[in-house]
Parts: sequence; C-alpha cells; structure tokens
Amino acid sequence: MALIEIENLSVTFRAKGQEVRAVRDVSLSVGAQESYGLVGESGSGKSTILRAICGMAPVTGGTIRIGGQPVPTPRGRAFSAQVQMVFQDPYASLHPRHTIDRTLSEPLAIHGIGDRDARVVQALTDVGLPPAFRFRYPHQLSGGQRQRVAIARALMLRPRILLLDEPTSALDASVQAEVLNLLNRLRAEQGLTFLMVSHDLAVIDHMCDRIMVLQHGRTVEEIAHADLAAARMTTAYARSLFEASADRMLDGPVEPAR
Amino acid sequence: MSLLEVKNLRVTFDTETGRVEAVRGVSFSLGHERLGIVGESGSGKTMTGRSVLRLVRPPGRIEADAMTFDGQDILHASEREMRALRGKRIGMVMQDPKYSLNPVMTVGRQLTEGLRLRDGLGRADATAKAIAALEAVQIRDPARVMEAYPHELSGGMGQRVMIAMMLIPEPELLIADEPTSALDVTVQAEVLAILDGLVRDRGMGLIFISHDLRLVARFCDRVLVMHKGLVVEEIEAAHLMEAQHPYTRGLLNCLPRIGGPRAPLPVLDRAGF
Ligand SMILES: Nc1ncnc2c1ncn2[C@@H]1O[C@H](COP(=O)(O)OP(=O)(O)OP(=O)(O)O)[C@@H](O)[C@H]1O
Ligand SMILES: Nc1ncnc2c1ncn2[C@@H]1O[C@H](COP(=O)(O)OP(=O)(O)OP(=O)(O)O)[C@@H](O)[C@H]1O
Ligand SMILES: [Mg+2]
Ligand SMILES: [Mg+2]
Repeated sequence: MALIEIENLSVTFRAKGQEVRAVRDVSLSVGAQESYGLVGESGSGKSTILRAICGMAPVTGGTIRIGGQPVPTPRGRAFSAQVQMVFQDPYASLHPRHTIDRTLSEPLAIHGIGDRDARVVQALTDVGLPPAFRFRYPHQLSGGQRQRVAIARALMLRPRILLLDEPTSALDASVQAEVLNLLNRLRAEQGLTFLMVSHDLAVIDHMCDRIMVLQHGRTVEEIAHADLAAARMTTAYARSLFEASADRMLDGPVEPAR
Repeated sequence: MSLLEVKNLRVTFDTETGRVEAVRGVSFSLGHERLGIVGESGSGKTMTGRSVLRLVRPPGRIEADAMTFDGQDILHASEREMRALRGKRIGMVMQDPKYSLNPVMTVGRQLTEGLRLRDGLGRADATAKAIAALEAVQIRDPARVMEAYPHELSGGMGQRVMIAMMLIPEPELLIADEPTSALDVTVQAEVLAILDGLVRDRGMGLIFISHDLRLVARFCDRVLVMHKGLVVEEIEAAHLMEAQHPYTRGLLNCLPRIGGPRAPLPVLDRAGF
C-alpha cells in the first residue's frame, strides 16, 4: 500500500465570481520512503497539490489518503506529526520577530513534547547549523541558512512525510548542493518520504525516483527516474521541458541513454 | 560611449555589531548588452544592482569614484533627478516579487497606474497595454490576473507580473535581480527571449543577476563573478563553463546534472578562499 494516495483530486478557487480550476482530476501515489517529484509549467497547480494535502486549498473533488486513511478535516495534530511542509518562499515562511529557538520549539510545545532544549540543538546540528544560531532572528541569517531552519522546523516532530515546495530555487549553487545533500541524508537516516516540487529538472533528477509532469492543472505524464535521463518521455510537453533544461542546452543535442 | 559606468563602488553598513562591507570596490561598464552577475549568496550582487538606482536603505552607504548613466552623474544626482530615472529610464526587477508588489492592490491597478499618471493614457488604453504586457510574459489568462491580488498568484506568476511592470515604461537600462528563479524552463525561455529582443532591437542595457551559472552562460554576453563584495573574475559568457578561478569552478561543480550520479553533490570548500 502506498503511503500517500491521491485520487482524482480537483481544486477550484473562486474569486470575484471567477473560477480558477487550479488542479483537475490528478491522481498519484507515493510509496513509503519513496521520493516523488512534481514538475511543470508555472501556475500548473504544483504548490496547490501540496497545499491541498495540508488542508490549505479548496478541494472540490477526489480523495487524499495517508497510510490508507482518508485525511481528516481539519487536519489536526496527528496529521502534522506525520506530514510537514517546507514552503516555496524562504523569506516569508519564518516569523520575522521570533528567534530561531522559538520557531523550532513551538511545534514541540503545541504537541506537549518535553526535552525541548536538547531537541532544538539536535535539529540545528542535523541541518548543519551551529547551536548558537538558536538565539538569532531570521534577518540575521543568509537565505540558505534560513531555508535550513525551515527544514529543521519541518523535522521537529519527526514526521514520516516531507512536502517540499521548491526547497532550493532561491538558493545559489553551493547552498543548493548543501541543502540537497542534507535532504538525501535525512531521508536515508530517518526513512522519510518526499513529495517535492521543483522547476529544475536536474534537481528533480538528482532527488526523485518518479516524476509527474503537470500542465494547466492536469497530469501530462508520469516518468520513472531512469526514463528521464534517457529521454524516454512520451509527450511533447515533457520533451520540451527536458530539451529546454539548461544543462542539456550546453551539451548540444540530446545524447542517448548513458 | 557606454550606457552605464561604475568605478570602484563600495557599499557599507555600520551596524551595532560592526561594519559590514557588502561591496568592496566593484568597477564595470555596460553597453547595449547583457551583463550577467553571478556569485554566492551574500556576495553583494543585489547591493551592486540597487546602488545603480541609489536604492540602498540606511544604515547602508554608497561610495564610488564615479557612477554615470548615459553621461549623467548618478552618484551626485539629487533625489529628484533619481526619481525621474527610476522605473522610467532605469527599471529594476526585484529579487522577491512578493515584497515588491502591493498586497492590497489588484495586479491590474498596479500595472496601469504608471501608464495613466505618467503617460496620461485613458483607462481603456492603459488596460489594453497592461494585458498585452502580461501576454508577452506568457500569462495564460491575463483578464483574470488583472483582477487578482498578489497572494492569488503562483510563485512564477508573481515574478512575471513584476517583469511586465518593469518593461511597460520601456527602460533604457534594466536591472533584473534573479528574474526567472521561480520559472519552469519553457516559460523562462520565453521571458528571456523578450529581454533578448529588447537588447537587440531597442538597444536596452541589461544587468542580469542570477545564481544559475548555466543560464547566465547561455544567455548573457559577459559575466562578472562576485565573491565577498569583489569581482573575482570577468569573463565572456560563452567561456563561463571553462572559468579558471577556483571559486567559479567550485560553484560550477556544485550543480546536479540530468543523468548525473546520485552520490552527494560536491560542496564549496569555503575555507579555501
Ligand atoms: N488563493 C488563491 N486564489 C485564487 N487563485 C489561486 C490562489 N492560489 C493559487 N491560485 C491559482 O491557482 C493556479 C495554480 O497555482 P499554483 O501556485 O499551484 O501553481 P504552481 O504550479 O505552484 O506555479 P509556480 O511554479 O509558478 O509556483 C494559478 O493559476 C494561481 O493563480
Ligand atoms: N541591512 C543590512 N545590514 C547589514 N548587512 C547587510 C544588510 N543588507 C545586506 N547586508 C549584507 O550585505 C551582503 C551582500 O548582500 P546582497 O543582498 O547584495 O547579497 P547577494 O549577493 O544578492 O546574495 P543572494 O544571492 O543571497 O541574494 C550580505 O552579506 C548581507 O548580509
Ligand atoms: Mg508554486
Ligand atoms: Mg540578492
């Protein structure tokens, strides 16, 4: 049985009498300890799918199951102990007037978990930050350090599932490499399952076992990791994403499978 | 004559915990071309771009030996003279669109305001021009987006709205700070084609700040590599992938590749510089 099962999910926003059908009839399933990637056009509904899982989008159809159980509405504490999200925008996702210590210990307090000091220090160490950083505020950290704090916060409750929305698109190449290595290490150590959005196919290729390509809120194609590098996609849109990827352009014509 | 001339630019912050030298003597000149600025997070790219518009907030301080735009001294220009340049002759796409867009104003109003006040266009003409600008950056349902507030847009849509807003006044110089970092490759290619067309056909100058070295290598003419407030290498974009400076090489090696190994990615050895 898959850990995350999404069947025929639809999300429709209504604003000023207009309907925006952000997600249309999307189905996917992610096995335990698998890493699954979402790619596709800007505005195609990737962030909305992650938000729908967390109960932060107006779902108008379909079902979402975690570990075989339909997710409850509202999601509640048992859900957030299992599923955590890292948001697209590292600048907006941390409270500007809370110290890192407060940001990291708050989920523990809400869930009545003790031993907070040791857990905060451990979480900072896990993401490669010195323990002294707990006394800092977000504006005293660089973009990459802030994103690592956001990941540390998501890990405080030891969830089984991480939903990652463009975790490195705001980061430079060197910090991106550090964050991706960190995520892969934590996945192996803690047996995590990832559902991850990125517009960078090279990042997705490095991180994910299977990939879904989206356009206009719909599924275009699902691709296994081995088929991505070998250019074995079947739709024109998926192929256009692949061919426009920067590192392919520099290599000239697409090479056959390695 | 070059469009922009910057000599020995320094940006300094005096904070309670001491002096931060964000930019420590950067010089470059820009013609009607695409100049890329790359470098690690915190290396001073944004501050260099903002200095050209004199948009560094106190306690930040800008100093330079000279800074001229189209022959005009912008280092000593009055605040009023700078306001006449900003947004009109020199545009800047900010790194974080969510900060630069007004959260309580519809996209349509933000796009048309300048056209109506500055250019004296009527409502219908301004709206038509704004919709055309949104279509140009590949927004699929411009009528809906005109009515939307910034929080109703996806990450990449917010970024494209910012670009549309900056291009409407047809600036002579555009400073674009990570303008396509949230875009998928095909939409990104369309946006870059627009910028490219403006440089080629209208002779716009472009400063393209990005952490994406492959993108810069492909898109720009010339590249400045910054590190700790200094330009450590200036190189033809076409040769960026063969850059010699160990710092540039380090940055290039950190990038994952499609079909590359699954082993941990190399990271920059910061102690080495
Ligand atoms: N709160 C909202 N109200 C109205 N429409 C919304 C809202 N949030 C998102 N949308 C719309 O839903 C669609 C999908 O947005 P979503 O953020 O999921 O895209 P995305 O695939 O993550 O794009 P990007 O890669 O640009 O971040 C977009 O058309 C967006 O305008
Ligand atoms: N208000 C401030 N007070 C003190 N230091 C500051 C302030 N604003 C910026 N700095 C520092 O100036 C340096 C250069 O910042 P800048 O924003 O130009 O970096 P950048 O190269 O654009 O990085 P990124 O890729 O993360 O956007 C950084 O070390 C930053 O911490
Ligand atoms: Mg998104
Ligand atoms: Mg910057």
